[in-house]
Amino acid sequence: MSIVQNSAQKSKWYLPGVIGGLGITMKHLLKNLISKKSMQTINYPEEKYEYGPRFKGNHILTVKKDGSLRCTACMLCATNCPAECIKITASENPDPKVEKFPISYEIDILRCVFCGFCEEACPVDAIRLGPEWQTPGLSGSNFTYDINHLAYRPALKGGIQSHVDDEERHKEGI
Amino acid sequence: MPKCTINGKEVEVKDGQTIMEAFKKADEPIAHYCYHPGLSVAGVCRLCICDIEGNPRPQIACNTTVTEGMKVSTKSDKVKEGVKWVLDFHLINHPLDCPICDQAGECGLQEQYMAFGKYEPEMAEKKVKKHKVVDLGPTVVLDSERCILCSRCVRFTEEVSKTNELGIFNRGDRSEIGCVEGKSLDNKYSLNTVDICPVGALTSKDFRFKQRVWYLKDSDTVCNGCSTGCNVKVYFNKEGMFRVKPVHNEQVNGYWMCDEGRNIYQFANKENRFEKGIKKLGGASLETMLPGALAKELHQLVKSGKDQTAVVLTGQYTSEEYDSFIGTLSKEFGIKKVYHWNQNEKQMGDFDGLLIRGDKNPNTKGLLKVFEKHQIKTEWQDLEKSLESKSIKNLIVAGPENLSVFADMDSKLALFSKAENLIWLGAAKVEALTSDSGKVKNKNIFVIPLKSFVEKEGTFVNHSGLEQKFKKATTILHETLTLTEVAILFAGKNLTLPSAVEKPAFVESQRRSDQVQLEHRKKNEFVFKRGTL
Amino acid sequence: MEVKYLTEFYHLDEFRFLDGYKKHGGYVQLDKALKMQPQQIIDEVKASGLRGRGGAGFSTGMKWSFLPKNNEPRYLVCNADEGEPGTFKDRLMMERAPHQLIEGMIISSFAVGSKKSYIYVRGEYDFPIKVLEQAIEEAYKAGYLGKNILGSGFDHDMDVYRGAGAYICGEETGLISSLEGSKGQPKLKPPFPAVQGYLRKPTIVNNVETLAAVKYIIRDGAQGYRKYGTEKAAGTKLFSLSGNVKTPGNYEVPLGYPLMDLIMKEGGGMKPGRKLKAVIPGGSSAPVLTAEEVAKATLDYECLAGLGTMLGSGAVIVIDDSQCMVDMLGVLMHFYHHESCGQCTPCREGTGWLNKIVHSILEGRGRLQDIDLLIKVADNMKGRTICALSDAAALPVLSFVSKFRDEFEFYVREGRSKVRGNFYAQMHH
Repeated sequence: MSIVQNSAQKSKWYLPGVIGGLGITMKHLLKNLISKKSMQTINYPEEKYEYGPRFKGNHILTVKKDGSLRCTACMLCATNCPAECIKITASENPDPKVEKFPISYEIDILRCVFCGFCEEACPVDAIRLGPEWQTPGLSGSNFTYDINHLAYRPALKGGIQSHVDDEERHKEGI
Repeated sequence: MPKCTINGKEVEVKDGQTIMEAFKKADEPIAHYCYHPGLSVAGVCRLCICDIEGNPRPQIACNTTVTEGMKVSTKSDKVKEGVKWVLDFHLINHPLDCPICDQAGECGLQEQYMAFGKYEPEMAEKKVKKHKVVDLGPTVVLDSERCILCSRCVRFTEEVSKTNELGIFNRGDRSEIGCVEGKSLDNKYSLNTVDICPVGALTSKDFRFKQRVWYLKDSDTVCNGCSTGCNVKVYFNKEGMFRVKPVHNEQVNGYWMCDEGRNIYQFANKENRFEKGIKKLGGASLETMLPGALAKELHQLVKSGKDQTAVVLTGQYTSEEYDSFIGTLSKEFGIKKVYHWNQNEKQMGDFDGLLIRGDKNPNTKGLLKVFEKHQIKTEWQDLEKSLESKSIKNLIVAGPENLSVFADMDSKLALFSKAENLIWLGAAKVEALTSDSGKVKNKNIFVIPLKSFVEKEGTFVNHSGLEQKFKKATTILHETLTLTEVAILFAGKNLTLPSAVEKPAFVESQRRSDQVQLEHRKKNEFVFKRGTL
Repeated sequence: MEVKYLTEFYHLDEFRFLDGYKKHGGYVQLDKALKMQPQQIIDEVKASGLRGRGGAGFSTGMKWSFLPKNNEPRYLVCNADEGEPGTFKDRLMMERAPHQLIEGMIISSFAVGSKKSYIYVRGEYDFPIKVLEQAIEEAYKAGYLGKNILGSGFDHDMDVYRGAGAYICGEETGLISSLEGSKGQPKLKPPFPAVQGYLRKPTIVNNVETLAAVKYIIRDGAQGYRKYGTEKAAGTKLFSLSGNVKTPGNYEVPLGYPLMDLIMKEGGGMKPGRKLKAVIPGGSSAPVLTAEEVAKATLDYECLAGLGTMLGSGAVIVIDDSQCMVDMLGVLMHFYHHESCGQCTPCREGTGWLNKIVHSILEGRGRLQDIDLLIKVADNMKGRTICALSDAAALPVLSFVSKFRDEFEFYVREGRSKVRGNFYAQMHH
């Protein structure tokens, strides 16, 4: 069977289709006029759609109780990243219990494919993909997220705390 | 020469060799930590157990001498189970530090656990806590929790460096490695302890947290730190070089190398190199250009002043480069005034008894050999005299790569200032040449950046006359030249660059077996077939 | 029947000093021995069937004959690092009869050709060290030590070396390491000490009781020495009887003596109202015997080996029904965890692991699978190390858990002792 239909054959019968389509439009118009609740669209940007909790949006770096970064700079996220958009520079922390931490953690969000592999690779729950998805910016540099943005942007209200706590782990003797 | 059977393979070993060595010879896998071929046998990790026919109890391979007709096997369930448990004993107090441990990726525990491990841990008790991030000395950091007390490092300081700084303190599972009171791990070979540490207990301060090891590629080459010519492995990626480790060569360096040699990666990295050709004419400001173009431009200068041109060579280049450089210049221009800049003439014969030699050039012997070949017999004093009398106008200097061992740099630059034109060839960035410090007073200065030792192939002749060929490891700066190429360009010839694509692309027979390929199956339908990557 | 062979004059205070010792036949055998050929003495000791009294029970004469036949300097070391829990016989011998040991050592040194010998005494034995030092001084003055002893041309020097209190230094090679001044850690064998020991020279290490017995073999001859004991285990032996008996102490009995008799006759039997539950026959590292097995046991190497345990150093620890076996294993594991030298991984990590498991059971955190885990861990420690310490830690675990499993299971299920009824934690706080 040919995929492409001969338009000449169908042209005679367009009127019922058009009328049917108009009917659907009219139905929705009337419905929207009567009840606003059943509306299929929202007034973006005044209104914003709530995505499911598992939605993979912009990255968040979690923090410890004291507000410092949870990330240990193990580079597993960077290793696992298929888009190679994560760049980490590790350094020695003066606190011997922490030892290694990132002095710079950059995500090139334009390269990111939001696959969530970084979240899966992370051994200490340091990186998560959050609910935000609107990422406007005026210049290219706005799309390279640094620690300041990833962990302490205003929307996070001082940082999201990680589930994995080193102190508790040490107390448990692990 | 007793013969024995290792897992069914027959091997012949030398008298007095152990089962462990027979295993290595038969190329059969056997788990081990404390055994190191360059050190004495400690027999403490108890991992290398194997069944010997006629012996009811499994024996350790590292301390059992092979006897004629011995039948050894690691295939029995008893041995396999034993190895699993001993590995578990190693791991019960080992911390979960892999994410922040530098050794992860090349760790003995990880590797052997993957190969021989139990996979079902039964330890439900608290781990023993020990000291972390202990500063052992200027080069090494210790993490006692990660340590499996194989005592390799202790034996190294006892037997190889003979400095006896390290010891095992305390008893039982509270044992820790540490420095003897009043001492710190501070000797010229201290970083070898990091290499032989099978876990991440000893880490190098220099390399610490710089890179995860799986981001690094490695390549064998020869150290150019001194005339010993240790065989080394350099680790690099697109960001540059990161570390150097020794490679076993019984004739040259055994299993070890010195700490000084581990710094050779630094001067090959971008930040310490001339990246572009530099021209500084009269009082004019600096002008940068492609090295090849600059070398070609200098053809006229060298040609016109060939009788007033002298060449100074250091012992830091390969024999091939010396040969072609001297050969080309003498053939094309008849330049015979080639001088040997030997910065450490007085310490030439020094030797510390293990590896470090006073002659800090990798190829002094090679240079002298090439001098002999081209019948060049010059004295440094002649150069000084002729520079004094202004009979030399053009001075071509193939400068050092490893600046730190050239203590006489300033005095030599002052001497070279007496020539009108200084043509400096070299990989290392010499600030005095490009800055206005006034150290270099030549009228015209030309700088042509060269390739470092990891970017080219060639031969170094070490102190004993042993010729060691090495291949190119990586490219750090693309536009740099070798001495050979400089010589060709000086002679006014063109470089024939090897074409990037040597073979025509897309030839079916040349496809890699693991290459991702499109298979045309049906009309308008393509299926991806993926090989193993 | 208790016999007085080695301990004949131990009740006399004067036996401690040279004069008193000489009055009771002291240093006569030395004179006799020095007139013999060294090989003759070795043959005599071999013929006597004397076996090492320190624990392993290896034939002494055989050990001496392993020495290489050359003129290298060699050493004799007396192992007086009596560390096995429950053993206190060597202390008695050194305190009551230092000259008996010194004479035995000089004779043995002459036999093996050693010009220098050491007595390695454990650090805690303050008084025995004083007594020995005094006795050696006396012996030097009387010419029994030093140059040309009794005009025989044989030179010999003797020193007391004080250990610093480590169980592992009672192990032959660990003792040699300690004697050399390094950390007391056993050395890899081969080479054996008889070939390469102290300062890499051939070295013989013997227990106090073994060396003291040499004098009696010279006195009575090999056949005379065989008057006591069995065919394979000749002579008498001192047993340190301790635990829940009426009269604990050191008793000398001939080898092959019934274990039950030692407890009931020499030890005076159980305390009133108590029943025998178990006996550790050879120091804490020997597997435990239940009451039924005790009835069958005689005190010689073969019979005890047949019962799956060993004679060891002769420390008989009697356990009655008021003792909780889990508690006892807790104490033993604490000891072995503390004393493991930390060289070999299975022992270093295994002793710590066993200790933690037993203590988690004792603290009421135990799981039923922990009991099997104890067996698994102990099984995999056994025979996997340089010295026998990991066996010493593993064997009690295996025997305790397999023979008294009900007590362990009760403790895990109920969280309290079957015998005591209360918690370990309450007992200690």
